[in-house]
Amino acid sequence: MDDLTTYAVNTWCPGCGNFGILNAFKKAVRKLEEKGIKRNSIMISAGIGCHAKIFDYLRLSGFYSIHGRSMATVQGIKLANPDLKVVAFAGDGDALGEGISHMIFAAKRNADITVIVHDNGVYGLTTGQYTPTSEKGFKSPSTPKGNVEEPLNPLTLMLEAGATFVARGYSGKIGLLADTIAQAIEHEGFSYVNVLQPCVSFNNTYKRYNELIEILEKTPESYEDAMAVARRKEKLPIGVIYRIDKPVYHKELYGKFNPVANRLSKKEKRNKVAKLARPKKVEK
Amino acid sequence: MRREVFTFIVGGKAGQGVRKAGTVASQLFLEMGRNSFQMDDYPSLIKGGHNFSVVSTSTDEVTSQHMKADLVVALDSKSYEIHRNHLKENGTMACDSAVKEEGVISLPISSEAKKYPNRELISGLSSIAILAATIGMEKEELVDLIKKQYKREVENNVSYASTIYDAAYQEIGGKFSLEKGKSKGVLLTGNEAIALGAAAGGLDIYFAYPMTPSTSILHYLARHSEDLGIVAVHPENEIAVAQMATGATFAGAKAMVASSGGGFSLMQETFSLAGMSEAPVLFVLGSRPGPSTGVPTYTEQGDLKYSIRQGQGEFPRIVSSPGTVEEAFYLASEMLELVWKFQTPGVLLTEKHMEEGRKNVDLDVSKAKWAEPLLHKKGEFKRYLDTSDGMSPLLFPPSEELIKWNSYEHDELGITTEEPEKIVGMHNKRIKKHEALVKHMKSIHTVNVFGNKGPAIFTYGSTTMSVLEALRHGNIDATVVQPRYVEPLPVWELERYKDKKCIVVEQSSIGQFASLLKENVGIKAQKVIKKYDGRPFDPIELAEEIKEVV
Repeated sequence: MDDLTTYAVNTWCPGCGNFGILNAFKKAVRKLEEKGIKRNSIMISAGIGCHAKIFDYLRLSGFYSIHGRSMATVQGIKLANPDLKVVAFAGDGDALGEGISHMIFAAKRNADITVIVHDNGVYGLTTGQYTPTSEKGFKSPSTPKGNVEEPLNPLTLMLEAGATFVARGYSGKIGLLADTIAQAIEHEGFSYVNVLQPCVSFNNTYKRYNELIEILEKTPESYEDAMAVARRKEKLPIGVIYRIDKPVYHKELYGKFNPVANRLSKKEKRNKVAKLARPKKVEK
Repeated sequence: MRREVFTFIVGGKAGQGVRKAGTVASQLFLEMGRNSFQMDDYPSLIKGGHNFSVVSTSTDEVTSQHMKADLVVALDSKSYEIHRNHLKENGTMACDSAVKEEGVISLPISSEAKKYPNRELISGLSSIAILAATIGMEKEELVDLIKKQYKREVENNVSYASTIYDAAYQEIGGKFSLEKGKSKGVLLTGNEAIALGAAAGGLDIYFAYPMTPSTSILHYLARHSEDLGIVAVHPENEIAVAQMATGATFAGAKAMVASSGGGFSLMQETFSLAGMSEAPVLFVLGSRPGPSTGVPTYTEQGDLKYSIRQGQGEFPRIVSSPGTVEEAFYLASEMLELVWKFQTPGVLLTEKHMEEGRKNVDLDVSKAKWAEPLLHKKGEFKRYLDTSDGMSPLLFPPSEELIKWNSYEHDELGITTEEPEKIVGMHNKRIKKHEALVKHMKSIHTVNVFGNKGPAIFTYGSTTMSVLEALRHGNIDATVVQPRYVEPLPVWELERYKDKKCIVVEQSSIGQFASLLKENVGIKAQKVIKKYDGRPFDPIELAEEIKEVV
């Protein structure tokens, strides 16, 4: 057991893609520590599902949230104390089904958070139903004749919504994924990492991904080029697809203030309230 | 001696500045040292329709609008039709000259307004000029008032108001003489009182999505964000609102949210999350007539049982309901203190009538409570350390210690568990917190009692103001019993009334409050006076209803 791991017993299936994400994340934390970002300033959150067990396994502080909400939970943490780095883990059902509104708005407002989506195209923990990213025709207990919906492309969706950092990773390429995650956490603004992850029990995509994955040589320079890369289907480029600097939400909202660190004392707060709640001096 | 209450009603279309006129009238009365209560009635639309504002004022305490007016100003003919029955016997109906009816004072409200670019908005000002004339205010005083209260295009406003004042003075100048009083303080709506009370209790951050009747808390805190050192955030929906607030408490911020029933339903999963993760989030639930969208801009108390049974699963929660605008201030701070003390979600249950009702209040800010978390001192930190009273000391990030909050059942460190003895242990921890909460509540003020004669009248929330006003108006002896808390219900305080003659007054169609009292305290009401037409009680009518039972 390393110093980033808790005593929680790991219950992922042998061969699960989540192991790759867990290991890549730990590597990313160590990379960040080398750059002076302390691990105790990195707060994690997760939704509900197989992906979310990463919360129990990582020896990092945070808030184990509920299905589809980790992206909103971490925005609350960030707004309360902007000195913290916040990372929301989410499944594809979490981020693109139950909680898609939070994703779109977090990107739109450029909330300074990182979202890592464990995209395996299936609801594993509830035994294999189709998700927002399942291919058309995907047979599952809820779609026995095959999924009749087209999958969402989370990358183009996030680009369109205003994400300032968009990347794709693969749980089978741990080194590159670690590097991508570290960059995402370092990025000031909304960073999105869509991690392709096989589910050995219900959607084993190892073979397919090993054929289709292609390492992106360099990050496209324009939004249009990034969109073109994100749209590709014949190959699945991995790496940082888009990155741009834009003002972040909390600074736009309240500048350099920090609601918990710069909190007014009881006396100061009471004086402020009294100014509004007590009669003004009569002007003579 | 009969107490003197003067009531002013102004009615017109949305966009004619009716509510503003009501507020300025309240301010005018306050400057005379008089108490007032203002109720604004408006349908859910932006322009047109019929809005009215009722302001009742007295040198004595006044806690409700009266629906019999001394002076009605009807800015249009619809207002005349609606309010002709709201006039006292010797009352004055002042109308726009377009209204051709006998016995009304006809004034050039709209024809004069046409001379100004903002003819719609400016016409509301006529009601203030008419009020000033009928109560014998000097024109200079009126001009001073307008300069302070109608600052935009002030020259036009002064000119228009002077014309209307002169016309009104000729007909009814000085008809009413209003005594000066000794009241002081400021005018606040219930929502402003809640916002300020929470601020006085240490609020750091506020999250809300607009929903009537709680929207104005968001407006007030956003406007005064820098004045109060409070961040106001308006996210994409109520789910995000509740989640962000819960996340904010993890970082140590005192957080509050508000909505009405519909938005509150969306917050249920997070309410339960707050129960499980022991997140001290304060929720304000502002009721309006339901079910569903219901009647958005009106009032009801149909959410009582809903408020005390929020969220799936078993966990302690605190629900309180303020009876007056002053109490809304103090209770908001007290609720913030309690949710932090017991690390569990709380609901401040209120209604449109309270939230948007405006009253003069004289607050003592130093009497507000202050939220102060129990902090971990040293050694290994366990978020869910099982203590004798169930409360675990808190630590906020960043820290060398591991801080894990969890929506799953968890062990003391905050790691997910499915082990039977740990499940039982954490259930018992939450039960201990509930017991500690009840014990604490036995040591604080949980029930207001007004008077000590006659039958017991049980009421709660904004209906308390209606009942108190009805008793004053009808000169009725009764003992008003108003629990400030409805969960845990202070049974230990209420039991003593069990054998008394009891009446319940509430704004519910099925009598939820009466049923709560019956189920938990064994109080059997002789009569449950209910009202559920969306309008608050008129104390004049309520006094008659109470007298029938007494």
